Amino acid sequence: MTKYLKTAHLSALEKTNGGIIYLLPDIIIKVCTLIPLVFLWRVVMSSGAQVGITLEQMLSYTVISSLLADMLVVKTPASGWLSEEVLLQLYGRPLPVLGQLVAITVGGWLPMLLLFSLPMVLFIPLIDINLVPASSYFGISLLLCISLGFAVDFLFACLSIKLRNMSWLIDRVRMAIVALFSGTVIPISLLPHGMAEAMKYQPFASLGGAPLMIFVGVANIRETIALQIAWNLILWPLALITFRKSQEGMVSYGG
Amino acid sequence: MADRITFKRIIKLYAISAKMDLAWLLRDTKYALAGIGADLVSNLSIVSGVFLISVRFGGIGGMSADEVLFMMSYSTVITGIFIMFGAGNNIHISRIIGRGQLEHLFIQPLPLHVQLATCGFAPFTGGSNFIVGAILMVIAVNRLGLQPSYGWMLALIAYQLTTMAVIVARAYLVSSMAFYAPVAAEEISGTAIDGTWFMSTFPLSGMPSFIQIPLVTILPEGMMAWFPSLCLLGKPPLGLGAYYPMLFALVISFVASYIFRKGLNYYVTKGSNRYVPYGFRR
Repeated sequence: MTKYLKTAHLSALEKTNGGIIYLLPDIIIKVCTLIPLVFLWRVVMSSGAQVGITLEQMLSYTVISSLLADMLVVKTPASGWLSEEVLLQLYGRPLPVLGQLVAITVGGWLPMLLLFSLPMVLFIPLIDINLVPASSYFGISLLLCISLGFAVDFLFACLSIKLRNMSWLIDRVRMAIVALFSGTVIPISLLPHGMAEAMKYQPFASLGGAPLMIFVGVANIRETIALQIAWNLILWPLALITFRKSQEGMVSYGG
Repeated sequence: MADRITFKRIIKLYAISAKMDLAWLLRDTKYALAGIGADLVSNLSIVSGVFLISVRFGGIGGMSADEVLFMMSYSTVITGIFIMFGAGNNIHISRIIGRGQLEHLFIQPLPLHVQLATCGFAPFTGGSNFIVGAILMVIAVNRLGLQPSYGWMLALIAYQLTTMAVIVARAYLVSSMAFYAPVAAEEISGTAIDGTWFMSTFPLSGMPSFIQIPLVTILPEGMMAWFPSLCLLGKPPLGLGAYYPMLFALVISFVASYIFRKGLNYYVTKGSNRYVPYGFRR
């Protein structure tokens, strides 16, 4: 375990090697996206349409989604492992590759959690947005979401091995699909024309949207967590088998 | 000896880029089609989210769902133009600067600005969003009952060019940091362009002015689709007038040009050494 913690620590330090100031553009963009998004929802929800979620809940949903963005849609360095020198690191160390990827990813979350999420947690309650979860099951759901996020990421990484030269394209499509289908930006329950019911059961809905809906108290907790467990049980074995078959096919060609 | 730059020469350079793009499509069709699909899915997922919300809520902040659709189509056309003319990192210029690849351009017998303007033209693999955006715009215009005149069409082209000028100028402005800090700022244009793309689809109508004003000045996301769309719909917002986007584009272009030139002078005296002997970048 110590080795994984050390790997995570190294990963966190790597993000700030050039100095904390170089994380500033990303932090500014996050803040500058979050604030208009909060006001956008205020404007949208002020129409008075009954959508099964109140303005207060929607604002909490939006803010938590932004603060925990990296966890709600997991992205490991495996996305670019064929072109960004990641292979040399992963296979040059005496640790399981997937375990390292998890440690590197979790460590990489820390700088943004400390420099963006933590200050925002202190600031957000001042503008009357609730950051207390409606149910303690939020924590369980978040863990299941993170676990499923890793499985989904490994599957996409295997796809990039299979298709060799397309890792950037796969990443682009994957982020687009996940952004819409996971409900991290727009809750699935708000989609029109019966789309909400149809999309509830697809695997991406068990990612970010699931814990967020539990956080604000509008989810059927039992059903949501059962779906998350089911998708974990389906996708993890699939990810492990696919990875075992795929890793022999890796071809790296420089940066 | 550098070539004499005429309009005909510029068109020929665009034709060379287009030919290479077509060659890529024909030689590596599977990869090229995947690229086209990726661009389409990526953009449509962004704009469809905002549009679906406007449908569910019957509009956003005084804009009807059809007006939001018009705005999303404007944004999609802009995305299309951006991809069509910026396929060679020539708009994500911090990547070229940060990776030490500007020297590749110095050895060509063409002025730097001409190369940068023409090298990223990819009409065959990069035109999908432009076509989809144009179709969406026709649908939105029909649903809104607009009767586009020649004047309106010219205004549309002028606003699209203005939006592109703002995007390029801002990218070059922030990318100037890569002259001084090539490793740290290599992806700064990605942050400035891609990181803010979602925000540029926000209909700002109905928001308080302390949110709207910064988004059409300091962080000009409102200039990417919202402001020009409302101008084209005959409702220029904030009392700034229909020509404000052009004025803004002019100012930011001058500032970007000055800062970029300063950075370039620094770069040509200091240089860049990013590659390790076995091929990876530092």
